[in-house]
Amino acid sequence: MAHRRKSIGIQRIAAYAAIAVALVVTLFPVYWIAANSFKYDIDIFSIPPQWVPANPTSKHYHAAFVERPFLIYALNSLIIAVSTTLVSVVFGSLAGYALARFQYPGRWRYQISFWILSTRMMPPIVTIIPLYIAFNHLSMLNTKPAVIIAYTAFNLPFATWMMKSYFQDLPVELEEAAMVDGDTRWGAFLHVALPLARPGLAATAIFCLIISWNEFLLALILTLTERSQTLPIGIAGRVTQYNTYWGEISAAGFTACIPIMIFAFVVQKHLVRGISFGAVKG
Amino acid sequence: MASVVFQDVVKKFGTFTAVSDLNLEVRDKEFLVLLGPSGCGKTTTMRMVAGLEEVTAGEIFIGSDPVNDVLPKYRDVAMVFQSYALYPHLSVADNIGYPLKIRKVPQDKMRQMVMEVARRVELDGLLDRLPKQLSGGQRQRVALARAIIRTPKVFLMDEPLSNLDAKLRVQMRAELKHLQHELQVTTIYVTHDQIEAMTLAHRVAVMNKGVIEQLGTPKEIYNDPRTLFVAGFIGSPPMNLIDGEVKDGVFTSFGGVRVDGLGSATVASAVLGVRPEDIHVLPAGSEKTNIVAPIYSVELTGESTLVTLRAGAALLTVRADKNFVGDFDQMVEAGFAPGRVFLFDRQSQDRVDF
Repeated sequence: MAHRRKSIGIQRIAAYAAIAVALVVTLFPVYWIAANSFKYDIDIFSIPPQWVPANPTSKHYHAAFVERPFLIYALNSLIIAVSTTLVSVVFGSLAGYALARFQYPGRWRYQISFWILSTRMMPPIVTIIPLYIAFNHLSMLNTKPAVIIAYTAFNLPFATWMMKSYFQDLPVELEEAAMVDGDTRWGAFLHVALPLARPGLAATAIFCLIISWNEFLLALILTLTERSQTLPIGIAGRVTQYNTYWGEISAAGFTACIPIMIFAFVVQKHLVRGISFGAVKG
Repeated sequence: MASVVFQDVVKKFGTFTAVSDLNLEVRDKEFLVLLGPSGCGKTTTMRMVAGLEEVTAGEIFIGSDPVNDVLPKYRDVAMVFQSYALYPHLSVADNIGYPLKIRKVPQDKMRQMVMEVARRVELDGLLDRLPKQLSGGQRQRVALARAIIRTPKVFLMDEPLSNLDAKLRVQMRAELKHLQHELQVTTIYVTHDQIEAMTLAHRVAVMNKGVIEQLGTPKEIYNDPRTLFVAGFIGSPPMNLIDGEVKDGVFTSFGGVRVDGLGSATVASAVLGVRPEDIHVLPAGSEKTNIVAPIYSVELTGESTLVTLRAGAALLTVRADKNFVGDFDQMVEAGFAPGRVFLFDRQSQDRVDF
């Protein structure tokens, strides 16, 4: 008995140690960016490192958001990420529901689902030249809608699959009951299936939001000026031929983290349920 | 209020035939029970009435209207699901009021009707709860209340009592029967529990493998089973079915069962059916004796004693008097009540009249 208790104690200590290591690894970079954003340039490079800013300054924030158009980048990012998320979640839910519930001849349910997923199987970079040419012909280069369309194309398959598995796990009798009670299929979807799929909607939304908020490659090719450039592009732009403005990069980078963090905190309850949904029945 | 008519209805799932050539008329205001083992097509039949399954061939009428191509919402039926299918995100009041909300009944009228129905099924006081905060019996009442809040043409009930504990099931059974009598709404009720079928139904349709084996009142089904399946399915404990042969009106089996006076019937591969309560323990040497066999077990159920006899390879259940006394392996003589013995053909599964 004593032996057993001791081994549980060790296991527990090991678990906490592992969590502590994981926390340091994930949180330290965030802290370091935040700390650097408040330091003078010279302090950023000081040896030994300055763990806490000795002379806090807001000069990099001023430089980024007042002297440089980072506010506009942030606004572009917000418009693009929110639009992409909305479109992906709305159409992903509809498509996911259709795949989860409707009857298909033969193996068409599987075929269509697989085809949707297969669009995610190629690396995004292979689509860049065709996308560039297509948007060029449409005179849509350097516009926000072009970026939104490109992002939606990459998020929609994911949203569809996630919502499909979510709807599949809802008991079908609930919608049948709604239809017998006098609802149409659309009404049953709207009044019963969708409210019950809220955790799935939240999880899907935050994934879409994070993916489009952080995306770099497509935005780099499709955007040109502050008319459509997003935060990641703006931040990368501070690495110049002659100088890398670490202070501004840190200030903008830390600011860019904040909206996603807030959103994640707001929906985290749903997020955990959404991710684990389907893993445990009942 | 309406009748429901099935005309040559067929339902196939791919190559599997769930219901074949169903012809049935559920009369107006009738309580009809579809009874059968799982997979016999009874739930599929009901779901076709609700419009939740498409009909492969044939026609279903509700009242005088063919409804094959009518959406569920226009069929004016109400259904109680086995799982109750309560909307988990809505309160009890909203669950019950859902059919009215969809029909855009004004708020205050809806609230009043919900209160009325809730009182009827004794749910008033629980109206603000969520389904997950209710017990099984209360959930069942919510499902029932949701069905009766509007007066539909037909009630459909899919094993509504099967998730309740035994005591509650008996109580709800009586309430259901009373409710149907009060509301006078045509009801189709699906169950695999033959006691529910016997107690609730005006008429029972016994289904097996997608076809109706027999349609009749509970009394007819019990006293006059037309097929081997119906004979074995109805009754608890079930009817004794003894394999043997009939020659010139005399039945004999390997277990030493002998019954004569079966007319002039001759069946090579016959099954003799006799209910436990139609077998009587007789004093030794009686001339009415049909079998002499050792006791396999004795079970006192309270109002009677179930005596199981070993007749060759078969076991025979006898419902004896509650004061019956007997020990294992003791030899017992028993006689079958004249006129209460049925004969079936093993090949065709049909009754052989004599």
